[in-house]
Amino acid sequence: MNKRIYIITSLIFCISRLLGQNTASVDELVKQLWKGNDTTKSNALKILVTTVNTNVFPVLSAINDKSLYEYQDKLVTVGPKKPSEEGQKEMYSLVEVYPEGKILTENNQTIYKNTSDLKEIAFSRADRLLIAPLVPYLNLVSPISEKRKLAYTQFQGSTDSMAVPMIQKALKVETDPDILRVGKETIYSVLLNDSKDPKERKLLIDSLFNNWGSNTESILSTYAAAQPEGELKTYATQKAKELENKHTVLGVFQNLFSGISLGSILIMIALGLSVIYGLAGVINMAHGEFLMIGAYTTFVIQNLLPKSSDLFFWVSLPVSFIVSGIFGFIIERTIIRFLYSRPLESLLATWGVSLVLVQLARTIFGDLTAVRTPTALTGAWEIVPHLMLPYNRLFIIGLSLAMILLTYFTLYRTRLGMQIRAVTQNRQMSACLGIQTERIDVITFFLGSGLAGLAGAAMTLIGNVVPDMGQTYIVDSFLVVVSGGVGNMFGSVFSGLSIGFLSKIFESFFEAVYGKVLILVCIIIFLQYRPKGLFPDKGRIGED
Amino acid sequence: MKKYLTTDNIFYASALLIFLVLMPIGNLLGLVSTNTISLWGRYFCFAVAALGIDLIWGYTGILSMCQAFFFCLGGYSIAMHMLLAVGGQGVYGAKIPDFMIWNQVTSLPAFWEPFHSFGIAMILALLLPALFAGVFGFFVFRSRIKGVYFAIITQALAFGAWLIFLRNETMLGGTNGLTDFKSLLGFQLSEPKVKLGLYMISLVVLIGSYLLCNYLVKSKFGKVLVAILDSESRVSYTSYIVQNYKIAVFVISAVLASIGGILYAPQTGIITPGLMDVKSSIEMVMWVALGGRGSLKGAIVGALLVNYLYSLCTSMFPESWPYILGILFILTVLFFQKGFWGLTELLESKLSKKSVGV
Repeated sequence: MNKRIYIITSLIFCISRLLGQNTASVDELVKQLWKGNDTTKSNALKILVTTVNTNVFPVLSAINDKSLYEYQDKLVTVGPKKPSEEGQKEMYSLVEVYPEGKILTENNQTIYKNTSDLKEIAFSRADRLLIAPLVPYLNLVSPISEKRKLAYTQFQGSTDSMAVPMIQKALKVETDPDILRVGKETIYSVLLNDSKDPKERKLLIDSLFNNWGSNTESILSTYAAAQPEGELKTYATQKAKELENKHTVLGVFQNLFSGISLGSILIMIALGLSVIYGLAGVINMAHGEFLMIGAYTTFVIQNLLPKSSDLFFWVSLPVSFIVSGIFGFIIERTIIRFLYSRPLESLLATWGVSLVLVQLARTIFGDLTAVRTPTALTGAWEIVPHLMLPYNRLFIIGLSLAMILLTYFTLYRTRLGMQIRAVTQNRQMSACLGIQTERIDVITFFLGSGLAGLAGAAMTLIGNVVPDMGQTYIVDSFLVVVSGGVGNMFGSVFSGLSIGFLSKIFESFFEAVYGKVLILVCIIIFLQYRPKGLFPDKGRIGED
Repeated sequence: MKKYLTTDNIFYASALLIFLVLMPIGNLLGLVSTNTISLWGRYFCFAVAALGIDLIWGYTGILSMCQAFFFCLGGYSIAMHMLLAVGGQGVYGAKIPDFMIWNQVTSLPAFWEPFHSFGIAMILALLLPALFAGVFGFFVFRSRIKGVYFAIITQALAFGAWLIFLRNETMLGGTNGLTDFKSLLGFQLSEPKVKLGLYMISLVVLIGSYLLCNYLVKSKFGKVLVAILDSESRVSYTSYIVQNYKIAVFVISAVLASIGGILYAPQTGIITPGLMDVKSSIEMVMWVALGGRGSLKGAIVGALLVNYLYSLCTSMFPESWPYILGILFILTVLFFQKGFWGLTELLESKLSKKSVGV
């Protein structure tokens, strides 16, 4: 296939040389493409194709995709789509295709247009067929990054030496580091397949190894398999193996990171649960629903504020804290305050509360909604190649750290915290000493539910917003509270992290499900020795 | 003079009259649909499980949140037997259940083998939950895990078991569960007569379990259970080994739940992991709470009433069932701690006081 393209293009190349038509300036020709009539358009296109001028590749690519438009006297094509809601027109950014491939802006704001607002420059099917031999190369300069990536990947493993200068040219203007790596990988692999000189081959294997793209391992091992026995084969195999080992090591780190991430989610939920249980002796099965309320608050705010900005997310963080806190306040005043120190009954009643809240959310919002991830938190931080730490996960870890510090500060460094701890230890005695225990209860409940709501707002980053989202984590969070020692902040933090780690470690050995079961077994065994958890509560609630 | 018109006696008489006499005769005469019969037959199974929950939670004060798991252990055992018994009648005519063929399994997993025989299947259905509850209870109660801790641990247990049953590779049918039962001991399950028969068996088993629980509660054993509810430490001071009593009552309640499951599966024709998730276990506890905790009749009434309400509401206004159930939960726990049965007793005592006054 590639060979044929090569022959055709080089043939065209020669003919065009002979005709001497490439003397007409490229600018002129491009102008004819959209200003001229059908015949001149067709002719200009023919010449542009035969000259194989990479500068006009974006133009040709757009013609091939039937997406060449005229906008304000500029030749443009459509770029990445604008994130939009359902039902709205699809809006695209505009990319100028000639002379430079830049995204059009107005007052530093990217212009978004629907294709119906643009004047299409149409070409006949016959004209577009002229471009066909060049198509594999055209995608190398496509404004859509996925297309570019795919185009590079397609050349991997080929021996088409003409591709190399094309790819090199295209790479010169490439800015995306990810695609840059794929492109380099492609060049090295094409050259390696083509090369005969053993020294050069070794050098190319080294280059591949150092570049370390996502396919390098398979490229090297395929290459090694195709080689006859010898030094080169062992060298390639060894390098492939080395990369594999590196991957394994990175896999461990990735797992550790997921462990911290899971642990921090559990901690965010367990913090409020634990403090409330310690203080009031109430098992709040509806705690997960405060998480859900926080997530829906974020969703509502997203719909209220302008769609294009990320402001909604930062606004919704404090708002969801307050909204969830208010819900917690209402539920505490109407239901839970009658259940103090009756944990089992409170468990059942709050289960009822949770049923009602979940159904309420379902009635209002339907079954599935999603919140957009703010642009600042999309993507991942690549510490070393192939070790990706997604920003949203990092944000959640950071947030939970902040929540832990905040809770610590409130509990141990403020007057309110001292009162909370006093009531936790001995309610009657605290009342005797003039602490308004009811007031403390309400405030604690507000804070605890608010923390869950804040966690809910953060959870929109990693999943959909569904009415029963709170129940996904509630069983695990209870386990965190129980194994950490009820009413103890440090216990929750410690056991949350341990459970997060252990789950991920088990998951890397077994299926996720069996990992969960193993965790449960571990916790039961652990409770054999520490029935009251890691840090037993010294208050009255823990007693019979 | 002994009074005959007590709430108790009215309850017994009317319940027996309606369920043991009127409904079956009505069904034979064509007045009561087979569907209704089958529905009530299932409610009786739930009531049997509810009796077990009342024993452990209502009388002993241990909140077990994995009763639905035990219920399903019974249900799955009998379902496995029924699937094997009809071997060769499936869609593919294979000796193994259809879902295994979907999962590209060619031979029967070893742990399915014993379920070929009805006797062994029944023994396993009772033994598995008993053994499980016994071993789990031994470890948990030995280390004095109680109250909320026990509730949460059992909840996690139910969650874990649910996850395992959901998997395809555990060869228990995955999410779809086990279904497509044809016959049990040679009786065709689709026949109305067989359905009526199962209804009667469920009712008789329910009455039997009630009598057994009643005996247990009135015996010395039952008194110790109530003593544990009141103050566990004092019971242990008087040289009772609390741990053994707790394990015993946990095992009994597990077996009762499993019996309910055994009778349930043939009547519904399907058993899925959905029946054993965290929610189901809490709902089972709520039947008892709504009916009247600490009273065996309350447990039965609660199970029947809630399930009847459930099918009533889901057919009339499906959206609002969670609201109704949730609000009932809250109100019961807050205001009617003795549940529905406690309410009737309260009414009775008020009425009798009035009559005394007159």
